[in-house]
Amino acid sequence: MRDAVEMAGIVKIYGETGLKANDKVDLTLHKGEILCLAGENGAGKTTLMKVLYGMERPDSGTIRIDGKEVSIDTPLTASRLGIGMVHQHFMLIDDFSVEQNVTLGKEPLHYGLKYDAKAACEQVDKVIKNHHFSIEARQKVSSLAIGQKQQVEIVKMLYRDVEILILDEPTAVLTEQETEALFVTLRSLAERGKSLILITHKLHEIKAISNRVAIMRQGKMVGSFKTSEVSEQEIARLIMGQTVSLTVQRSITPQKQSDVMTFRHVSVFNHGRKTPVLDKISFSARSGEILGFAGVGGNGLAELEAVLSGQLPVTSGSVQLRNEDVSRLETAQLRKRGLAYIPADRLHTGCALAADVSENMIIDARDSFSRYQVLQREKIESHVERLLQTYQVKGSTRMPIGTLSGGNIQKVILAREIEQYRDYIVCCEPTWGLDVASSNFVYEQIMHLRSLGAAVLLISSNLDEILALSDRIVVLCRGAVVARLDENAVRQVTKEEMGNYMLGLKCQEKVHGQQA
Amino acid sequence: MDNRLERRHARTMRIMLGSVGMLTIIGISLAVLVALALLLSKTPWKTLRYFFIGPMQNTYYFGNMLNSAIPLIFGGLGVSLAMRAGSFNLGGEGQLYGGSFVATICALFLAPLGFFGAVVALVAGAFTGASLAGISGVLRMKWKTNELITSFLLSNAVVLVVNYLIAGPFMDPNTNLIATRTIPESFRLARILEPSNLSSALFIAIVAVMVIHFYLYKTKHGYELRMYGLNSNFATYGGIDPRRYQVIPIMLSGALYGLGGSLAIFGTYYACMKEFSAGMGWNGLAVALIAKFKPAAVIPAALFFAYIESGARSAMLHSDVTYEISSIVQSVVFFLVTSTVLQQIGATRRRSV
Repeated sequence: MRDAVEMAGIVKIYGETGLKANDKVDLTLHKGEILCLAGENGAGKTTLMKVLYGMERPDSGTIRIDGKEVSIDTPLTASRLGIGMVHQHFMLIDDFSVEQNVTLGKEPLHYGLKYDAKAACEQVDKVIKNHHFSIEARQKVSSLAIGQKQQVEIVKMLYRDVEILILDEPTAVLTEQETEALFVTLRSLAERGKSLILITHKLHEIKAISNRVAIMRQGKMVGSFKTSEVSEQEIARLIMGQTVSLTVQRSITPQKQSDVMTFRHVSVFNHGRKTPVLDKISFSARSGEILGFAGVGGNGLAELEAVLSGQLPVTSGSVQLRNEDVSRLETAQLRKRGLAYIPADRLHTGCALAADVSENMIIDARDSFSRYQVLQREKIESHVERLLQTYQVKGSTRMPIGTLSGGNIQKVILAREIEQYRDYIVCCEPTWGLDVASSNFVYEQIMHLRSLGAAVLLISSNLDEILALSDRIVVLCRGAVVARLDENAVRQVTKEEMGNYMLGLKCQEKVHGQQA
Repeated sequence: MDNRLERRHARTMRIMLGSVGMLTIIGISLAVLVALALLLSKTPWKTLRYFFIGPMQNTYYFGNMLNSAIPLIFGGLGVSLAMRAGSFNLGGEGQLYGGSFVATICALFLAPLGFFGAVVALVAGAFTGASLAGISGVLRMKWKTNELITSFLLSNAVVLVVNYLIAGPFMDPNTNLIATRTIPESFRLARILEPSNLSSALFIAIVAVMVIHFYLYKTKHGYELRMYGLNSNFATYGGIDPRRYQVIPIMLSGALYGLGGSLAIFGTYYACMKEFSAGMGWNGLAVALIAKFKPAAVIPAALFFAYIESGARSAMLHSDVTYEISSIVQSVVFFLVTSTVLQQIGATRRRSV
């Protein structure tokens, strides 16, 4: 029997940063099987699937569907070839009914003209009944639960006679019961001969659902394995890799250390939700050291960043900066107290793309560049000119920052925040999407700050980075602290162990209110 | 110093290339005008002559044209300022009309105070415009309502209320017009370029443009405002209080509308007539669009707009076309101004320089 999908030698380089997102990746999907595609954030899973679904063009490599070589340039071509994708964020129109959402773009028509609502309902109901879904064709999508909305997405694919179905982290938003129901559906689809690819990094789900598992790391395919032949621990080790691939020159820790930023039992609940996004987090960041926060995406790192930068109010607990309680303060007030902050989203938060480099550079120092409320042009220009040289930014003061490359934009942000820093700095995903040279530059700067006595809070989903840079590490899983590693432990911990903490297989301290 | 010269040179080049798109737009719209005249008029050349030369044929027409540009400058400036902060002020009609009305009433009551009274009345007019616009700003800040809708709805209501006040309690019984009493002589702005209507408010308008330009591009406050408009996440991240820039810019915008209307009363009309300002608010919006929300470009944009209007009026008086021809030319201009393709003519060249 021919394989459903055969991808060979796929290379995808993102032009802007020169980053190799996929490096000669091979992937085979057999007919009627469920394949899990696993790997860390940024390992290249999503890129590979986007290539298969026609959302990205590969730089080289071949794709065969049913043994025939094809070129997939748009999602439309992909869907003609019987490939469907369910995205992490649903693509549904809330005010439409289920049947309208499902048939959108492929509507049954009266005499080829008028939308045939009755036929649409019948056809959609047939698909729903065949696969035992819990929705009805006439329900409005806005009235459905999240798990049911996902069913609508799947029905949408089945209605289009999809043979190959890609699901991007389908369980990320589901409850336990909904996940269980989804798996029943997926198994029955596989039994009927459909071939499925699931992107996931939840180990117990890989074990529960898949026939085979393919693991990616840093843009390369590590290998494919029969799920029954590998243990969860082995999968975790393959995902994380064994060797720490990054080393950074580090100086001795300064002698005198004091607490700069202290969290005491900080919890955050999203509006109307019962489970916290941050669950009684406690830690303190000391001067002259780098405190690393590790975790898999969706486990509280983003929320921690928002709390630290004053964008997310805490529900309970206290945040102390030096000797002051700052848990109720917003960004503007924190800035006045010395917040320096490199945001994870550098393009939408870290800069205004249409404004020029100078204007971007002085945002948090604007008071010191104005006299009697009037900006001092000459002073700004020479200051920015100097920073551009010091940080080796390729660009000039009057260029819109959006015309710079990703690495240079990050350097501008870095320069600005390091200038602003007084005694602590929050760095979030500082090298995300950067090439090796730019990354190393960022690491040097962070180490330099540490030697100056800064308290660095490093939030990163890049495990290599965390292990290489941090003096101490806090690991978050499901919004709670699952492990704390002191200086000795950081030097001894293996990636496998870290992976076990991050993926929730192991827990160092008793998590409040949970048995895990 | 060399550096400075170079920068200035680069800036001149940028402005020149930037106006390539605008010149194309003006060129096309004039071509449309010629085509319309040839189609609709029995004496096309006479029509065109009056259209183009009419506004400049004597000081009376020329002065009136300049005078009609004054409220457009204030309106265009107001919309541009709000737009730089990312707020869309659609309430110009009501802010201008309400501001003029309050300024007129103040002038009537403050007659004995002379010059000081005139200043107070103008400030009151500007304040009225600012308050009306401010309501939309505060609603946006508190409840995230869309200021585009609230300012528009509020403005419509204000126009009706002012209509009632003029026709009712404040109507001057000694005239056939539906209008308030006329303001005292001592409050009226000096006329320049007699016998036309052109008043010295023109100078105030030019000063206003300079002040707003300075405010936006040279002051810290203006910098914060622009950063908020370009990317509110970035501004908040940089420690700028977002609430401030949801309210202040649209208030300033309303103040400019109110001041523009009040100056029209003090310089041209001398009494608040019912619906005297109908259309001025919308035209201010159109001027801001032509100027692409750049304060310095508001003056030429307002002059261009006033020129087309008075050209159409002159052609209508002296030949066989109707006033609507001006509306058609205006629509063509806006259509072209909002077309991104034409704007990019300048932009792409700029990049390759």
